[in-house]
Amino acid sequence: MAEWIRYVVASIFIIGGVSIAGIATFGVFRFKNALNRMHAAAMIDTLAILLALVGLMFLGDVFSTTQETIFFILKLVLVIVFLWFASPVASHLISRLEVTTNENLEEECEVEK
Amino acid sequence: MSKLRKSSADSKWCRFVNWVNGTVEENKKEESAKDQISVEEVAATVEKQSSLIDKVGNLEGETALNQRLDQFQEKGMRFFHGSNKVMSVMICLIVVGVLLYTVSFLPEFGDASSPINNEVSERYITKGIQETGAVNIVTGMILDYRAFDTFGESHVLYVAACVVLILLRLDVKSKAAKKDENDELSVEESEANDRIYEPKNDVILQKVATCLVPPIMIFGIYVILNGHLSPGGGFSGGAIIGAGLILYLNAFGFKKTGRFFTMNTFKTVTFLSLVGYAMSKSYSFFTGANHIHSIIPLGTPGDILSSGLILPLNIFVGLVVACTMYGFYALFRKGGM
Repeated sequence: MAEWIRYVVASIFIIGGVSIAGIATFGVFRFKNALNRMHAAAMIDTLAILLALVGLMFLGDVFSTTQETIFFILKLVLVIVFLWFASPVASHLISRLEVTTNENLEEECEVEK
Repeated sequence: MSKLRKSSADSKWCRFVNWVNGTVEENKKEESAKDQISVEEVAATVEKQSSLIDKVGNLEGETALNQRLDQFQEKGMRFFHGSNKVMSVMICLIVVGVLLYTVSFLPEFGDASSPINNEVSERYITKGIQETGAVNIVTGMILDYRAFDTFGESHVLYVAACVVLILLRLDVKSKAAKKDENDELSVEESEANDRIYEPKNDVILQKVATCLVPPIMIFGIYVILNGHLSPGGGFSGGAIIGAGLILYLNAFGFKKTGRFFTMNTFKTVTFLSLVGYAMSKSYSFFTGANHIHSIIPLGTPGDILSSGLILPLNIFVGLVVACTMYGFYALFRKGGM
């Protein structure tokens, strides 16, 4: 019974992450301006990957205390930490390049340079 | 000087002033010199025309020959283009036929009696750990059974880096201008240089890079040193270290990376690692890859200091890969290191 609850919770997390990634890809192709597209794409590697990896942690049996599962969960936590460090900074740099190089930026959206 | 009308130059007062100042004579001298030059040019043109008139008799015969030659050239070009298409299609068809004919001699897919499915893989799986001492059988194959292939691959990376150096190195003039990166370049140089518009000294990127670069380096070294125990090895670990160097370069610029990584360090590290690979493995290359027992004992499989020469070879390959990755990025962005 406990395993079934684990599978259900993990599947909810993973399906939520995949659906958020799909919505973000729709946003990437639906928006017009580069800044809006970049904001939609930055959703994928923060929230969607967080939910998917938390679901994988539940599949890896969070509540057992053997050494292998603890290391497995710690590796996933490290992956989440690295991505949450790296991807917002990458999107920040892309947005800064867009603001500095786009000449028609004030027509598209009101940004204070 | 006040502004003068155009008609003032022709007025009597202006002429009188010029005559008093003595500029009229100079104007006359200049005009006379111009007249002399024009006379010489006219004489030259008259001589050219006379020589052309003498040649007309010969030209009538030459024009017919030229027309025939042009027709012959046009026919030849048409024939060449048509035959080129036909011959290219023929060569492609012949090569396809030869390849398909050779494929017919290959053993069938999944044939149990072929050595691919029979001897080689079985030898690797059963005796791989005994002969190479590496728990990771893939690393044992790459760096022990097929070390000559890996030697060639690392040389391919080195040669590619050398070719990029030859093609993308900037001129000596621009190097003198780039010694002072703080000085503002001129408008033409800034227009020709897209890197002016790049965001520099980004505080967020610098703070994140100080947190992220040391773990990336440590993880790359871990992947290299555990190449014979776990998935990984020289190529992947070197790529991780090169990515860490590129992140550091993006955050802090070429001034800080120039303290520890210049062109000379790139050359020496790649050359010495390739020479070390060749020296450590050349005994088996020269004996036709016959497996002579190495002086280094294999040790117990599973320990870090085991599997003979695989660990130093991994380190050499990782150094080459890291240097080539950083060198590619620096050359494509700056034209130097």
